[in-house]
Amino acid sequence: MSLSPRLVSILKSIVVWSFIAFACLPLVQMTLISFVATLPTAQVEVGTLTFGNYANIVEDPNLRSAFVNSIAYVMINILITIPVALPAAYAFSRMSFVGDRHLFLAFIAFRITPPVVLTLPIFQLFSALGIVNSVFGIALAHCLFNLPISIWILQSFISAIPKEMDETAFLDGYSRAGFMRRILVPQIAPGIAVTAFFCFMFSWVEVVFARILTTTNGKPISMAVNALFGFQTDIGLVMAVTVASMIPGAILVFVMRNHLSRGFKIGRV
Amino acid sequence: MKERNNIGWVYVFPAMSVLGLVGLIPLVTVVNYSFFEIFILDSRFWIGTEWYADLITSARFWESFARSGLFSTLILSVQIPLGVAIALCMPQREIWVGVALAFIALPLLVPWNMIPALWLSLLNPARSIIADVLVFVGWPPDWKDSVGHTWAVLVVMDVWHWTSLVVILCYSALTTIPAAHYQAAAIDSAGPWQVFRYIQLPKLRHVLLMAVLLRFMDSFMIYTEAFPINAGGPDHATLFLAVDLGEEIKAFNYGPSAARSVIYFLIIVAVAWMFTKAQAKLDDPSERAAP
Repeated sequence: MSLSPRLVSILKSIVVWSFIAFACLPLVQMTLISFVATLPTAQVEVGTLTFGNYANIVEDPNLRSAFVNSIAYVMINILITIPVALPAAYAFSRMSFVGDRHLFLAFIAFRITPPVVLTLPIFQLFSALGIVNSVFGIALAHCLFNLPISIWILQSFISAIPKEMDETAFLDGYSRAGFMRRILVPQIAPGIAVTAFFCFMFSWVEVVFARILTTTNGKPISMAVNALFGFQTDIGLVMAVTVASMIPGAILVFVMRNHLSRGFKIGRV
Repeated sequence: MKERNNIGWVYVFPAMSVLGLVGLIPLVTVVNYSFFEIFILDSRFWIGTEWYADLITSARFWESFARSGLFSTLILSVQIPLGVAIALCMPQREIWVGVALAFIALPLLVPWNMIPALWLSLLNPARSIIADVLVFVGWPPDWKDSVGHTWAVLVVMDVWHWTSLVVILCYSALTTIPAAHYQAAAIDSAGPWQVFRYIQLPKLRHVLLMAVLLRFMDSFMIYTEAFPINAGGPDHATLFLAVDLGEEIKAFNYGPSAARSVIYFLIIVAVAWMFTKAQAKLDDPSERAAP
């Protein structure tokens, strides 16, 4: 029995859009609650539709700074991760050196080490270095899982580029550093974008390090939300903060959507 | 063919330095702590392998180990096939691909500690249509007292949160297959199953291995999402390895929690080692099945 191509494509669409409906359902409910007053105040009754929760985010200095902190540490993390991962990915992709496989295994092992295992010593180490309570501390701690995954992604992109290109460039008199800067980086720009996207995604939502490394200052959004839970939680405000926290990522995905799929097409993943 | 050149170490050095600082030094500290009885961090006494002996003979440890294993198995058996299926069904036209990818990625963007709050509000009959439907069909949400419900909430929540990652990874691998392969398959009048088995699955292997590894380790160590739902309850039914570890750290039992961490790390290294072995096998052309 064979199905007509038209029927197959309709069935496929149903599968994809059902999954998207499942993925979006909790988010739709979250968005709806974010527009409802959930705590009684002098001006609004519980259950009325309002923009008040969003106004509260803008008015609350703690929440405002939480957004700034989150954006800052994700940016710093990307700025540390990509320049460090790029040469390593190049080496793993193009060269065979003593212990390369073991080193790759060691890197991967750090990506999959649960953060909770290393929280205490990282806290001590960072206190000694004086970078607890700073966005830089979180950005550095997140390299633990972002760096290995970045090396893996970039390595697959570099491997997709024919090795002849390196050789031609060296014949043309480029040094390795010059080759990487002038030829390799522009060639794998989509790969760098994809890598930065993954760094953003893993770093933005991470909680364990963000919690232990920010006791008073530099709190990211996730921790600012935690502080909102109490005896009487304003769940509307909590949902509004969560919706707002997804906006930068959603914009990034939307802006990069074609770049992402194009980027992935080049990579021999 | 890769160039044999030990200058590779120079290129890898910056990455090694960063990972040495945030990974290796803390790891060595954890191993060190695991051999001490620690009252406060400045006052500690060497007790050898006592914590390890305690752990290995503790039924609670093995039970939470089995629970984590079961949870990961469930998660993988749902997320991997579902992720592959969705990736295979993705729209063909570029404009819809972008839209679908953007929607599919949304669950990955929610801060992890917000996910339990989101799902608990979804199951709260006071403000959720889904909870109303569940009550209507005679299955009122009862995750505080019912083991089955707590597990169901955790599994559905994790599937919701992470299947997207599997979809994105698999879709990215599928897009690397040249159109010529499909044309050749059409000429040979290959059915959809044969196309999947002999063209798509081989392309997916590397990515699937990575997806399985990432999803296995993250689900094996589920903490941020599991704790707020029911704090390991009811009756320890969702006391996973990491939840137990988190409790121990909160109780300032540094020595035992360090020993526990070391055991986790060894499990992880074993899994990563098997993964690189499998990866090497895939990379080695002599191991590949003939088409």
